[in-house]
Amino acid sequence: MSAATAEKPHTVQQQSSFARVPAAFRLQFINGSALVWVPLMIFLLAWAIAVGIGFWIDYLAEDRVPTEEPFYTGASQASLWGLAFMAAYAGSHTFPFSMALSYSRRVFTIGAVLAFGAVSVAFGLAFLLGAVLERATNGFGIEGYTFYLPYLTEGPGGIAMAGVFTTLACLTVMQLGFGAVILYKRVGLLRLWLVIIAAAVVILATVMLITQQNAWPQVWQWLVEQSALSLSACLVLVVLAQGVINYLMIRKATPA
Amino acid sequence: MSGNTAGTAIQVRGLTRRYGSTTALDDVTVAFEKDVIHGLLGRNGAGKTTLMSIMTAQAWPSEGEVKVFGQTPHENEQVLPKICFVREDQKYPDDALAKHAFKAAADAFANWNWDFANRLIADFRVPEKTKIKKMSRGQKSAVAVIIGLASRAEVTFFDEPYMGLDAVARQLFYDRLLEDYSEHPRTFVLSSHLIDEIAHLIENVVVIDGGRILLDEPVEQLRDRAVTLVGRADAMAELITGREVLHHETMGRIARTTVLGALTEAEQQLVRELDLELQPVSLQQLIVRLTTKRNHNDAVYATDMEVQS
Repeated sequence: MSAATAEKPHTVQQQSSFARVPAAFRLQFINGSALVWVPLMIFLLAWAIAVGIGFWIDYLAEDRVPTEEPFYTGASQASLWGLAFMAAYAGSHTFPFSMALSYSRRVFTIGAVLAFGAVSVAFGLAFLLGAVLERATNGFGIEGYTFYLPYLTEGPGGIAMAGVFTTLACLTVMQLGFGAVILYKRVGLLRLWLVIIAAAVVILATVMLITQQNAWPQVWQWLVEQSALSLSACLVLVVLAQGVINYLMIRKATPA
Repeated sequence: MSGNTAGTAIQVRGLTRRYGSTTALDDVTVAFEKDVIHGLLGRNGAGKTTLMSIMTAQAWPSEGEVKVFGQTPHENEQVLPKICFVREDQKYPDDALAKHAFKAAADAFANWNWDFANRLIADFRVPEKTKIKKMSRGQKSAVAVIIGLASRAEVTFFDEPYMGLDAVARQLFYDRLLEDYSEHPRTFVLSSHLIDEIAHLIENVVVIDGGRILLDEPVEQLRDRAVTLVGRADAMAELITGREVLHHETMGRIARTTVLGALTEAEQQLVRELDLELQPVSLQQLIVRLTTKRNHNDAVYATDMEVQS
């Protein structure tokens, strides 16, 4: 590697302002553990534990008829929250390091979001493959499902659309984790908590309003009517908005 | 003011940075000439790191502007790849080994040179299997120094680069920096509060104190800036009348006085007649005298002069 780079010209030529985006993307994977090995480990372990518990329950419940009583686990969420932490970590550690490498915040953010996107696609693909496997084996013969969840897989587009949805959900959660840290770096701990409290108040007020209007049945109805496709459409908008908000926040965030 | 506009790497105008009620930088105007090694000197908390952070777009000013090669660096990918600034308290990804950091730097800086980097890695004996997070202060400094040097960025900042490095490693750093600078001239800005350590390296001195630029001069000119006289106190009094005294101390009948400005022919004659001894003033002494004098004028500190005389 040394010979090839030894004779580069001393002066950096005029280049595209996005020329270093691929390098900023690779920066997120410099040691592999944060965005590849740790999430993969969480994914496999959570799944293995869920399947293990499934077999245990099946063994204990002797009179259970699997086809009549399929069960569904939430183990796929473990990876999502794990990835949210890993994305937060990209904000807390990789961002300051990127400043030492003189990336503009724009290029760093594009690289980071592309990296999150790649990881999300991998997660969506793994979810999809898991669902295919579970469908083929009838939930490992015991009708236990972690990925082949009817709510997501039975809409338009089937399992493939469930993969698209989980990809977008993953990207949403990762951008949320990343954004929370950048917000902290931008405004400090006190104002971060004010924002969190404000968000909690908004959610609480919404809940109160729905309750006051006796609108819960309609809300549930609406949720039930959604499919992986319609939810994905919503998430595309969320992901885009997050990208813009995160960049506006990081634009004047300091690394130290 | 050092340098002319055509050869200016960094131009800072009217820069002020406030953190709440604290003013870290106060209307700073200074230029850093291209292809020169600058020393950015000052006491702890003088504003060195803040100034460097703003010049490299890691932070930004409350007021004023910074131009690097004529352009504002903030969010400017035409200028930023030419700048390298590894902070003294630099954060690295948690699990990263030194090789990971170097690989990332090689990816980011077009002029990165692996031959040079590998030589420095061997020179500084950077451990291969220790996470940067777990490294000693000196080892972390070595990683920062290697990134700064091997990146061969057109403007490279070093923030107290010797922290934790032992004497051998510090000398290695100074030697390698000078060697590489002579082969690949570029602009360096070294911040330091240990002035004598880097005095032999730097060609231009910028002294910052209390967020203000106190001095900005080529080192050569500074050497004539002040002189120390040692001799009988009564004889001394005759010579220093009317001159600006930076420092004065007496031990019995012997006085030791540092005065501002070079001596005239007549004064040199007088020095010989009065049997006074002339001593050069080191950069460190001069800067300490200048900064404490300012503080004295500001009635902030009791100066050595008051304490000792």
